[in-house]
Amino acid sequence: MKGVFAIALGILAAIGGFVDIGDIVFNTAAGATFGYELLWAVVIGVGGIITYAEMCGRVAAVSERAVFDAVRERLGFQVGLVALVAAQLVNLLTIAAEVGGVALVLELLSGLPYRALLVLALLALVLVLWVMPFGWIERVFGYAGLALLVFAVAAIKLHPDWAQVARGFVPKAETDNLAVYGYYVVGLIGAAMVPYEVYFYSSGAVEERWRPKDLGINRANALVGYTLGGVLSFALMISAGALLLPQGISPEHLGSVALVAEVPLGQIGLILALVGMLFAISGAAIDSVFAGAYNLAQFFGWEWGKYRHNAGAPRFTIMWAVMLVLGFLVVMTGVDPILVTEISVVFSVVALPLTYLPILLVANDRAYMGRYGNGVVGNVFGVFYLAVLLLIALAAIPLLIASNMGQG
Amino acid sequence: MSAIDLGLGILDHQVVDSDGHHCGKVDDLELEGVREGKPRVAAILTGPPAWRGRGRLGRLAATLTGGHVVRVAWEEVAEVSADVELRRTAGELGLARGEERARRIVERIPGASL
Repeated sequence: MKGVFAIALGILAAIGGFVDIGDIVFNTAAGATFGYELLWAVVIGVGGIITYAEMCGRVAAVSERAVFDAVRERLGFQVGLVALVAAQLVNLLTIAAEVGGVALVLELLSGLPYRALLVLALLALVLVLWVMPFGWIERVFGYAGLALLVFAVAAIKLHPDWAQVARGFVPKAETDNLAVYGYYVVGLIGAAMVPYEVYFYSSGAVEERWRPKDLGINRANALVGYTLGGVLSFALMISAGALLLPQGISPEHLGSVALVAEVPLGQIGLILALVGMLFAISGAAIDSVFAGAYNLAQFFGWEWGKYRHNAGAPRFTIMWAVMLVLGFLVVMTGVDPILVTEISVVFSVVALPLTYLPILLVANDRAYMGRYGNGVVGNVFGVFYLAVLLLIALAAIPLLIASNMGQG
Repeated sequence: MSAIDLGLGILDHQVVDSDGHHCGKVDDLELEGVREGKPRVAAILTGPPAWRGRGRLGRLAATLTGGHVVRVAWEEVAEVSADVELRRTAGELGLARGEERARRIVERIPGASL
């Protein structure tokens, strides 16, 4: 019974932890622009994160290696260093976007000036990271992020044309603006597969000392947690498609995202949407800050982990603080966090193959994995997604330019 | 010792001391007896200057980073599994300096042991 309970808790945390500023921005923008037509791209993205999160969790449980241990061992120092630099630049942009997003939500909640709220967000995040144990962070932010389920209720209340919704799950591109359409496909897949999620997931598995006996929990977390996280993405896109598209509103502010819950559900919908966004984005800020510190510590062989107290892994502690402050400084310049979000997602797509290739190699290495190596299904999905990522990595930057960042 | 692929089996692996603390990666290896045709690992090298042997980017990274290299004689290696496990503590082998320096900074802040 205790096992079932632990799995349920992990799944809840995964749902709340899946959605971040990138998902919120891209799903609502895609819904407002193309209605339900791009739901299939979310399915592909969610399938990708499930495939690689499960693989990373399994590698962590069996070989006790986190992502960047594997990256350096398998790709060697030079290619590993390139992967590290790429990952850290993307992480930095992600952190900046999430910290900015937290301040934007606080602004909507309080009406106070944005820059003051950025400082408040920084201080609150530092305090949480310094004081709270790993398990608490995961649960508090994961559970509170579940308030985002209000968007699922909103989507139903908005009475979308369900036949139309169903057709959105079939890939097609009937549009006169292929560049914008392609840009959103890249953005939706990229937002679902942002690299910090797997860095964090795999390091978390090592922190929680998963062993082969925990592989069931790993599979359940990845499969059920991210699938339900994907449902939240569907809900955002469907409600944006039902409400914003007919009105011709393009969601350039998080305020119009909250509007999507407020119109059908009133004040309570608005508050739940903002609280859900606040915790989900704060949780993502924390995850991405940790991800940055995990990567550095694993590449250079330092002590790492929240389970060692702050002074027990001092370089790791200093590096998460540095990553957080750097991200804060990026948005403190006044650059629009939504713009940073879009750029971070597109560039993360470019960095993704370097993250996922070594994981696939290690997951197939019997010397590391014994009988827990990848099966046929794992490899078919793994190779398929590596090919998808390579394709969209090549297309990402040309599409960003051709579509004028989705503006057409 | 049984056959190990030096490239994949030791190089770039995590170094762990006798207390289980992480204390660097195997940044390079010191080989001897190569000329006699009987190469063996004499020592593992860890620390940024050891990256000089790791290609152009390694040289660049070493130049930018500074620091010093620590040589750990192969006799100090207890076991090679996922990690390279040492017989003594990081402090005794001179592998704890970076972590100690950072610890002195972090320990000044209240709540460092949380």
